[in-house]
Amino acid sequence: MEIDRRAFIASLGGAAVVAGMDHEAKAEALEHYMEDQLDAQVAANSGQADKFPTVAEIEAQIETRDFRRGAGSLFVSNRGNVKKLAPMPDKPTLKDFFELRFQPANHVLQSATRAMKTGMSEEIILACLLHDVVLNLIKPDHGWWGAQMIEPYVPEKTAFAVRYHQTLRFYPDPEAGYEYPDQYYRIFGHDYQPPKYIEDTYKWLKNHKWYMEPRLVTVNDLYAFDPNAKVSLEPFMDIVGRHFKQPKEGLGFDNSPSAHMWRTMMHPDNPL
Amino acid sequence: MRRTLTIGAVVAVSIAALAAQGKPQTSKGLQMTPTSVEITDQSSLRDCPPGTNTVHAMARAGERMANVTVAFKVLPSFKPGPLKRPAVMSTDGKTYNTSVQFVDVGSVPEFSCTFAFRVPEGTMLKSMTIEDATLDLSGLSK
Repeated sequence: MEIDRRAFIASLGGAAVVAGMDHEAKAEALEHYMEDQLDAQVAANSGQADKFPTVAEIEAQIETRDFRRGAGSLFVSNRGNVKKLAPMPDKPTLKDFFELRFQPANHVLQSATRAMKTGMSEEIILACLLHDVVLNLIKPDHGWWGAQMIEPYVPEKTAFAVRYHQTLRFYPDPEAGYEYPDQYYRIFGHDYQPPKYIEDTYKWLKNHKWYMEPRLVTVNDLYAFDPNAKVSLEPFMDIVGRHFKQPKEGLGFDNSPSAHMWRTMMHPDNPL
Repeated sequence: MRRTLTIGAVVAVSIAALAAQGKPQTSKGLQMTPTSVEITDQSSLRDCPPGTNTVHAMARAGERMANVTVAFKVLPSFKPGPLKRPAVMSTDGKTYNTSVQFVDVGSVPEFSCTFAFRVPEGTMLKSMTIEDATLDLSGLSK
């Protein structure tokens, strides 16, 4: 695909903004720009400005790839070969994982920043910060995987919010400030129906006293990458300190039920 | 003569534009002026002030998206903090909420936001509440 360099830079807010972005942010911005351009081209070619694919069309793409969409982002690269990862400290902390395995982590940092600015509780801000980090490991059922991974270390409400935000993302709740994202029409298909276990979970959640915990994660979930946003883990370190029980042996070495998940992210190049 | 006519025309246009806007209201150090109400099938839900988050909401059968644009001025008395999401009231007395959220109000001195409301087809908007201010939309609702 040919890129109009000027248009791309202008879309980011100008040369000065681009100069202030690091390499990862630039690469991510370029990737999003190309995705948008591709979507626009596909829409223009089909003659319909808002045409989203069907479930069948998305399924037809499966055998055109050399990877599965559900593979965690530590395991596949959509920008050439994967890179050698920096070694982790002997007793890694959550901060180490953010810096050495979850980078650039823009999505979760922006989501947590928004939650902080909109006055959410610390449990919800922590849930926003952690809600998608498991996507580095695996993508399908990321709510359940993500909650299981953090459950030994975080408040019960935080794990609950992470586990069930996956379900609630399929169900709009305008009263609470959540609309079904158009991005989902694009990635699941416009005629997608959530499977029965998601429907059943939703029915159960609707009457749960903690319904709003995962709902607030969906409300603060971000669907648009903002290249101008300056985000870092620093503003959340106090909340992490208060609510994330960092094991003294280091994440991955504390014999918790999810220690192996952290170890897998430490060493994604291990063959077995 | 031509100059007088031009000035007259500019004044007339400005008066007409002001008349098309709603009356400004002030609450918690924010001056708010409703500037338009537009009915569409699809809306971009941007945070207010426009920034990080964008989701598109699409009207379902029997629904429309009512988009109310409000111009904001941050006054010196404004104290930063979370603000409740606005709500609109229709002429038949029903209340509708928006998914657009205030985020980081006060980061810019003046801004304009569009709040999208999912409403039944044919709904006419009467007013909008933002915190303890009520903005009259009756002159803007088409």
